This record gives sequence, C-alpha cells and structure tokens, in this order.
Amino acid sequence: MERSVAAAEAEAAATAAAAVGVEKIVVLDNGAGFCKAGFAGHQDPVAMVPNCLGRPRGSKRWLVADQVQECDDIQGLAVRRPMDRGYLISPELEKEVWDRIFKVLLNVKPADCALLLVEPLFNLPSIQKITDELVFEDLGFHSYYVADAPSLAHIYEANRRPESLLARSDCSLIVDSGFSFTHAVPVFQKFTMNYAVKRLNLGGKALTNYLKELVSYRAWNMMDETYLMEDVKEKLCFCSTDVPFDLNVSRKRGNSNYIKCQYVLPDGVKYKRGFVKDPGAAAAVHLKKKNVEIEVNGKHIDEDNVRTRVDTDRASVGTTETRRNVIVVDEQELTLTNERFMVPEMLFHPADLGMEEAGLAECIVRAVSACHPDLQALFYSSVVLTGGSMLFPWCKEKLELELRPLIPDEFDVHVTLTDSPITACWRGGSLLAASPDFGDCLVSKRDYEEQGSLRCRRRFFH
Amino acid sequence: MEDDNPLSRQSSRIRKIAPKLSAALLDPNTRLQVAQARLDALENDGVALDTAEADEDEDAFAGDEDLGFSQKKAPKGSKRKTRQAKALERLGNTKKAPRTFLEMLHETNLEALPAHVPSYLTAAVGPPNSGSRRHFCSVCGYLSTYTCPRCGARFCSSQCQIVHNDTRCQKFVA
Ligand SMILES: Nc1ncnc2c1ncn2[C@@H]1O[C@H](COP(=O)(O)OP(=O)(O)OP(=O)(O)O)[C@@H](O)[C@H]1O
Ligand SMILES: [Mg+2]
Ligand SMILES: [Zn+2]
Ligand SMILES: [Zn+2]
Repeated sequence: MERSVAAAEAEAAATAAAAVGVEKIVVLDNGAGFCKAGFAGHQDPVAMVPNCLGRPRGSKRWLVADQVQECDDIQGLAVRRPMDRGYLISPELEKEVWDRIFKVLLNVKPADCALLLVEPLFNLPSIQKITDELVFEDLGFHSYYVADAPSLAHIYEANRRPESLLARSDCSLIVDSGFSFTHAVPVFQKFTMNYAVKRLNLGGKALTNYLKELVSYRAWNMMDETYLMEDVKEKLCFCSTDVPFDLNVSRKRGNSNYIKCQYVLPDGVKYKRGFVKDPGAAAAVHLKKKNVEIEVNGKHIDEDNVRTRVDTDRASVGTTETRRNVIVVDEQELTLTNERFMVPEMLFHPADLGMEEAGLAECIVRAVSACHPDLQALFYSSVVLTGGSMLFPWCKEKLELELRPLIPDEFDVHVTLTDSPITACWRGGSLLAASPDFGDCLVSKRDYEEQGSLRCRRRFFH
Repeated sequence: MEDDNPLSRQSSRIRKIAPKLSAALLDPNTRLQVAQARLDALENDGVALDTAEADEDEDAFAGDEDLGFSQKKAPKGSKRKTRQAKALERLGNTKKAPRTFLEMLHETNLEALPAHVPSYLTAAVGPPNSGSRRHFCSVCGYLSTYTCPRCGARFCSSQCQIVHNDTRCQKFVA
C-alpha cells in the first residue's frame, strides 16, 4: 500500500519535471521559522527544518538546519537566522541553509532543477533582487517561479475540499499565522488581493518570547532558552474562550485548578530535552472545557482518571507551593497556570500588551471590508486558518466567538482550520508545480541573465 | 541550599541592570520607552551576537548551572576542521550583524509610493477600534486593579503587591 503511494508520487514528480524539461521540480516554502522542501507532485515535503544556524553553548561549531533540530545540547543554544520579521536579510546565512537542504537533504543538483519558491507578501525589491541572485547565481537553478503562501494555501484547501463553497467560488479568506507575522488575505480566483491584505506583526516567535518573558519574570530566568520555551508553548498553550473564567480557575488551589501543570526542564545530564510532566494533568483542561474523551500517548483517559492524577500531583507539590502563581517544585520543574492561555491571547488582543495593533478578529474584518461588497459574504463563509501558530487548541472556536459580533448579521461566518497548518502552503505549491501549465510560468536562468532581476519578476504577477 | 531558591537564581541578571533603570522608570516618558523596548524584544532571537562576550559568560556560569557541559570532554581527535566548518564558524561568529529588515524597509522609502499602491506599509493592520486595554497583574497574571506608583507595574492584590515590592519593583528582565 505505502509502496504504491510512494511509487505514484515518484511518477507524478517525474511527469511534472519532464513536462518542464528538467530533472526535478523542487518546491520550497522558505518560512522564517521552518523551511519546507520537497518535490512537486508529492503529498508532503521531504525536509522540514529550522531556517537557522545554531551553536550549542560552549561549542565552536555552528550547526545548520536539520542539525540544529537534532542537537541534544539545546540549553542556551545560540541561533542566527537569515530572516528578520519574515523577510530575508542575510543571503549568506540562507545559502548555508539552502545548501544543506538541496545538496544533502534533497540530494539534487540545482542546475538540473526548476524551483517553486514561496516568498513573503510585499517582499521589498531589494530583497527580491538578492533572492534572485541566490537562486540563479549562488545555487544555479535551471529556472524558477515565485508564489505567495496564501494563494498556495487556497489551492491546497480547494483541492482538499472540492465540493466546498470555497472550491466552487474559488474564493477564500486565508489567515496565515506562522513564525513572524499573521496575515489576513482575501484570495479570489487563485490570486491574492494584495490591496486588501492586512498584517498583524505577531507570530509564533513573539508568542514564544512573550512566554519566555512571563516565566522569567515570575519564576526562572529563561531568557536564553528560546528553544526550550518554544516547546513549552507548543505543548501547553491553548486559546481561552472565556478569559475571566479561566483566570479564576487558574488561581484556585487544589483539584479545581485543572489548568495548572508542570513542565520538566532538561538538566543536561538525565534529561536532554524538556517534557510535560504529566500529559494527563495537562490535558485535564480539555475535559473540563468540553466533555470529550481524549487520547494521550495512545492511552485512553477518562475524567476520573485525570482527576486522580491531578490529585497525586497536588500531593507532591504540597509544601513547596508559594503564594506566587508560577511555582517551582524543584530545580527541574516549571509550573504554568494562566500563562497557558494568556500567551495566545496576545494574538487576539495585542493592545493588552501595549501594542497599537488590532487583534486577529478585527484584522480579518478589515481585510474583508477592503474588498468589493459583493464578495464579502463569500470571504466570511470561507475563512481558512493556516500556519503553525493556528495550532493552539480552541483557536478556531475563539476566533469564531470574537468574529461574530464584528460582522453584520446577514453574513454567515464559517471558519476552518486546515488539516495540516504547517504544510498546507507547501502542499499547495506541490499541486501548482505539478499542474500542466506550470512550465509557462517559469523564468529560466537564461532569461535572468539576459533581462535581469526586475524584468523577470514582472512575469510572476498577473 | 542557595540554589533551591528560585529568586536567587533569577535575580543575578536583574540586579545587573536595575540601577540604571530604576531612576529612569520614575519618568513617564522613559516608562514609555521601556515599554517599547520590551515590545521590540519580542522580535529578538535571544542571541548574544557578540560572541566574545558570550564566551566569557559561559565560563562564568559553567560552574553552577551548566554541569552537563563542563563534565563533557572535548571531542577527541578531529582537531583538523574542514574548510566548510571553518567558513561556517566565520559566518556564524561574525560580529557584523546583517542589516535589519527595518533598516532595509527604511531605505526602500515606501512612503514615496502613491497611497493606492499596496505595499508593506498599507498592509499594516493599524490600531484597534474596539475595547480598551485590559491590565493584568505582573506578579500572577490575574486581572489587576492597582498600579505601582514607583514603576508603573500592575498588581491585583496586596499579596502580589508585597511580592512586587520585595522582589520586582523597578527591576527588569532584559
Ligand atoms: N502545536 C503548536 N502550537 C502552537 N504553535 C505552534 C505549534 N507548532 C508549531 N507552532 C509554531 O508555529 C510557528 C511555525 O509555523 P510555520 O511553519 O507556519 O511558520 P513559517 O512558515 O516558518 O513562518 P512565516 O510564515 O512567518 O515565515 C513556530 O513559531 C512554532 O512555534
Ligand atoms: Mg509560512
Ligand atoms: Zn496578582
Ligand atoms: Zn513597582
């Protein structure tokens, strides 16, 4: 079975490449947080690696991309990124990451390949120029095409749900919240309506840093532990659909505080990586909120079971509990309570932090309102959430709650979280690059050499 | 044991910076700047770009908090580095930080474009319409009703006020 899928993928990839006259078509979603790279026609990218260089504390050696991910010395890891605020600022660093991806992880010769590259919206001309140089001069690709993330996410979603209104109207409002920022983007007939795009300057990076700041202020100094805090965020944070209520719960003592939970910090000896101390206790919040059954590590948990676990936990905490909300049980443990939902809360209400920016719901409303009135109903009925920072539990529910009062009653609001928020854009790119007329869109190295960066760029846009 | 006290561990960093800031915090204008600096810090990578300084820090800390590292031996043999590793080292350690995005944005001068041309600037979501800012306790995160007269930090209760005064007032994590 699996074999036949792989075989079918390989065939699709080969057909697509042959149609364009190259050996391979490579698709690269060059996210500021993660690069997703693989071959046109495949379902999933071959490589998903951090877009950075990293150096373990006390080491002289810089690790690149997947090496950073595999490194065991994550405490105090120094990181250098080619991207700043979502845009390429260091082609030198990016070249190291790309070399690693293409030459080692994908094992291709760029000269024999066409490239579909995902670039951030509103890329600056100066950055487009250094990107083109990187693609043609440093790596020497045969040809390339530039796409933006929202239109690819739309292609993927339309393909995934061919019967949906989204697919039939070829129209959606894509919310892409990744590492650097969050965009609300109306997409109509596969094109991004760029005059209506709205950007919130908050993404996963800022959220991780905010959690780091809260924890460092209230408990341990975690200012040098970005990598670790990212894991804490991804494993324990969720969106609250009732903040005052959850704030009350999180300051209760004992059993009724089902939000409080512990994360075991690595000590560099016994534990190289941190982990959630008791996944059952951490998941208790799901049971209290909604009476659903969940599975943790393949083990079925019912409510009673979770309660007893929380009980044992309390017992061990006992005397060390202080009046502060974040308590430290011993050297290796970090206790979280309201940080679990106050961190994602920032996406919805940046003003609480003192940022002069509207929150996610208003961001969407402003993007839709900038479009033709006849289209607005269609956008509201096909809101799609994508990007890693939309993975917080209850993100969709919270957004629906906040969106409804801002939108006239006659509009239906329908929000969907795509099934693979981190790779949706790549998957859309894979579909596009394997479509029959992809070859017509490509700019070849020769075009670039003859016409220069600027002229070639014009071809990418309608 | 000193190290079991979380406050002792976190405070080393705070103390270094506090004297400079405490005076400045009394002034509402500087308070605003501090708030802005804090927002800017949300985009930091948490890297000491100046690697020489980072190395000194490591030595200072190796004894207490980085046992795992100090016990480890340097990798045997392999004294000869590959050319690629050397190039990487140079690249990673370079003190010359690349230009930031905001610098590049500034040079592009998008302000000169006509208002109807979509650009990075026109896409900014802009200030919020609805609702006012909610305030949360800096000590415990609960909704706060009080403001510290000395530093402007928020707290929710007299208990948290005590914690604030004792350990955090006019101290910053940077
Ligand atoms: N389960 C999760 N819960 C919350 N956040 C998550 C989760 N998994 C990943 N993330 C966050 O998603 C971000 C990465 O998302 P994504 O890969 O979509 O971004 P990117 O494409 O690299 O960035 P950008 O699009 O901004 O350039 C990281 O900040 C990561 O912490
Ligand atoms: Mg992305
Ligand atoms: Zn408080
Ligand atoms: Zn104070």
